[in-house]
Amino acid sequence: MPDGDRTDYRMIGAIAILLVLGLLSVYSAVFGGALFYRQLAVVMVGLVVLLLAFNIPLRIVEEVSPLVYPLVAVLLLLTVFFGRGPAGRWLIIGPINLQASEFAKAALIIISARLLPGLKTGAVRWSGPVFIGGVTLLVVLTAMQPDLGTAVAMGLIVLGMVYWAGFGFRWMFLFVSPLLAALSSLGFVWWLLFTALLCVVLHIDRAPGWKWVALTVGNTLVAALTPMAWNLLMPYQKARLTTFLNPALDPQGAGWNIIQSQVAVGSGRFYGQGFLQGAQKALAYLPARHTDFIFSVYAEEFGFVGSVLLLGLYATLIWRILLAARKSINPFSSILAAGVAFYFIIHVFVNIGMAMGIMPVTGLPLPMMTYGGSHIIMEMLMVGLALNAARNWRSW
Amino acid sequence: MKAKPSGGTSWPHASVVTLFLVLFSLLVVRLFHLQLTRGEYYSTLAARNRIRSVAVPAPRGVIMDRFGVVLADNEPAFTVSVIHSEFDPENTPLLAGLLSMPGETMDERISAAAESRFRAIVIRDDMDVVAVSPVADNLYRLPGVIVSVTPRRRYRLGSSFCHLIGYVSLADSAARYHGELSGITGLERIMNLRLSGSPGFIREVVDAFGRVVDTFGDSPEASPVPGENISLTVDAVLQTHADSVMATTGHPGGAVVLDWSTGELLCLSSVPSFDPNLFIGGISSRDWNAIIENPQKPLLNRAWGTAYPPASTYKIVSSAWLLEQGLTNPRLLPDPCYGSVSYGGNVFRCWAVHGRLNLEEALAVSCDSYFYRTCQTGNMDDLARISRSMGLGERLTAVLPGEAAGAVPDRHMMNSLYGAGGWGQGNLLNLVIGQGELLITPLQMAVVSGLVAARGEMPPLSLVIGDEPCGVRLAPRVSLATWEEIDRGLRSAVTARNGTLHRSMGGSAFPIRAKSGTAETHTGEDHAWVCGYLPHPATIAFAVFVENGGSGGAVAGPLALSIMEKAVERLYPDARW
Repeated sequence: MPDGDRTDYRMIGAIAILLVLGLLSVYSAVFGGALFYRQLAVVMVGLVVLLLAFNIPLRIVEEVSPLVYPLVAVLLLLTVFFGRGPAGRWLIIGPINLQASEFAKAALIIISARLLPGLKTGAVRWSGPVFIGGVTLLVVLTAMQPDLGTAVAMGLIVLGMVYWAGFGFRWMFLFVSPLLAALSSLGFVWWLLFTALLCVVLHIDRAPGWKWVALTVGNTLVAALTPMAWNLLMPYQKARLTTFLNPALDPQGAGWNIIQSQVAVGSGRFYGQGFLQGAQKALAYLPARHTDFIFSVYAEEFGFVGSVLLLGLYATLIWRILLAARKSINPFSSILAAGVAFYFIIHVFVNIGMAMGIMPVTGLPLPMMTYGGSHIIMEMLMVGLALNAARNWRSW
Repeated sequence: MKAKPSGGTSWPHASVVTLFLVLFSLLVVRLFHLQLTRGEYYSTLAARNRIRSVAVPAPRGVIMDRFGVVLADNEPAFTVSVIHSEFDPENTPLLAGLLSMPGETMDERISAAAESRFRAIVIRDDMDVVAVSPVADNLYRLPGVIVSVTPRRRYRLGSSFCHLIGYVSLADSAARYHGELSGITGLERIMNLRLSGSPGFIREVVDAFGRVVDTFGDSPEASPVPGENISLTVDAVLQTHADSVMATTGHPGGAVVLDWSTGELLCLSSVPSFDPNLFIGGISSRDWNAIIENPQKPLLNRAWGTAYPPASTYKIVSSAWLLEQGLTNPRLLPDPCYGSVSYGGNVFRCWAVHGRLNLEEALAVSCDSYFYRTCQTGNMDDLARISRSMGLGERLTAVLPGEAAGAVPDRHMMNSLYGAGGWGQGNLLNLVIGQGELLITPLQMAVVSGLVAARGEMPPLSLVIGDEPCGVRLAPRVSLATWEEIDRGLRSAVTARNGTLHRSMGGSAFPIRAKSGTAETHTGEDHAWVCGYLPHPATIAFAVFVENGGSGGAVAGPLALSIMEKAVERLYPDARW
């Protein structure tokens, strides 16, 4: 074991360089304004959080994790009702803007890691429904922020963790069956296919009677109610959903941003325009340049070389976290680290894909880069936990 | 990765790593494409950021008459717009000079353009080639200025349909892009959503002089959805004929022709009128003053927008009421007409001495005394009820712009006008001959005539071919015998030698049924009315009104006959009776 019980310095190296590049990009995007110093402060706080997470015994994290759930749920609820800021996603407490959905993501990862091992062994009664219900509630509350992008990301992260925890495809199918049921309401044939598949899976699983009834009846209800729920939506809400699924429908809004972002990325060419030299950014053509489209600023100024370096740093980070997940003999640590890895995979792919026009526009931040406090602190927390798991892989 | 830890977790690990590598490879491939394969293209674009988003107006729907004659369509016009982010504010006076616009107006529009910096904002539209050429010639030193061709509205028949179709102007709603046309009056306004379609957007790549060199390739683009074409039930030839006939009197007036078997409106003429084309690019104050200071008020629409006392034409409704209430019957001969009737201490005058008459004859010669004598024990509310059931006192359609409801007095209305006890049965004597508080539009009178012709079973009015009828459904509770009796009276008014319309219409080859009306006014000459219809197969009903025109039979009768003959020639050329 080359990196036995020692600190994973490669992970620390990757995260350190990413933080520096993130600060440089924000500095460039806001032209060295006050926001940069705010971001610097956030990173300092994040470092403290990282150190704490790195050193706290994971057993304590595991035991305390159920307490996190109500806390986050209340935060999400408060944001639904009192959310402010550009998209109504911030909870403003004095000088601090909290984005509850960022906390929800981290909390979801920790709580799933706590619940999934017990679910696997079936040691705790009702653990399956409790897990699914708990996850669904957090995801739905997040979607109501409104933050559909984050809600989908949360669903994907949990799905990945479920897979990592050793649940087969059949179990995952049952897990996502309500979503598939909603989709199957598009056509009667789809619904038939879906229901047939559901029955086959339940049969192979030798599911008990209550499970049969709950899943078939529940999913049929979901399929039947989805079109009605859709019709209850206001036209502007439908427009928002369809624009989310297909931003080309709104060429003046989201589509415009994507084009400008693509121009910025493309004009970086091989070596980039140079630090602080980005033309797109300077002319303020690039929208949300210090938040959603921070990668475009970076790619314009540092070019293909810099962008590949950035992707390499993310790859190193994710690779090291996956290694930690793989070698941890404690299921909580392993699944926790896997969740953190999924977090980074999904966020990096969706955000950079969006900046390059291959993914829809969502509000998912680019880890360690996008301006903002909540997500950076939560990412530092998660990396700290992953470092912790990597160092203490042997502890049970 | 030299050693594998114990446990069977290597499969999930391998698959997750594979997924993660695939996703990251996708990102690298896309990066390669954007930054290396297409890098040069994007960096030249970024050098001046010369992509811009330009709205493509949707062609507005064409409005046609029932035979496809175009009433309103579009022709190309030139528009000068500014994209603020590319525009040099120092060029503002130059541009103002080239467009011969006042400096302040130009400053105002330029600062409006600053609000959406990357979009083309219209500075001046609706220009012809001559007006636009100074700008077009100087485009090379005016970066950020665009000259484009946009459709402009044109009203082919000018004033004939000014009230019905109305006109368009630049939309000023925030929801619409600058430069979009929007209906201001008439059907253009009421059917604006259907006519306007929805605009598209293109992304253009332009060179340093603002000339379009390409459209931006892999960008989302919405093509414009053209507005819907609308065919009206109106016949343009009939309408222009009616306009010219009505104009011969020199008085304002309105003429309505409809088909009582289908409910289709065939002609909605109102004189005087104005040219809606004047309004399109913003009307000049000289033209506007000419319209507004015209004592005949061309903006008023006399076919359906204004209501007048109906005078004797209302006797059609009164007769139905008298017969249905049992206050008279076809054989009843009340006391003779001596030229006036005394009632409650007042003298109610007839316009002549008619002697002893039955209802048919009373309708033919329009004897007021007959109605004074028979109505005395009647109830005003019953008269109001039957009037409303024929469409009086209420709006008839949902689409005619600014339709007047008119007024049908009942006890409630009289009480609120004069106070309880401030009026009496004498007012009813005034009402039955169509004087007093009654107000009725020519359209409503044509509908009443159509109801008689159809024996109460006329379909609701319609104005747009292919649409659901736009009118209210009328179902007066009047017996067939009553309709037949009124029909006889209206026929006699034309055929009887002493009939009020014998002189003007008696010579016609058509079996016209009609009723004249001469409404006393407080202001100058009487208003002239005539309404009537033709029986099957030429199922046409009409009403003609001339404001302060004089005698209904003498003035309105010939106009109505001419319009009627044209209508038969146009729509039922093979009709024989």
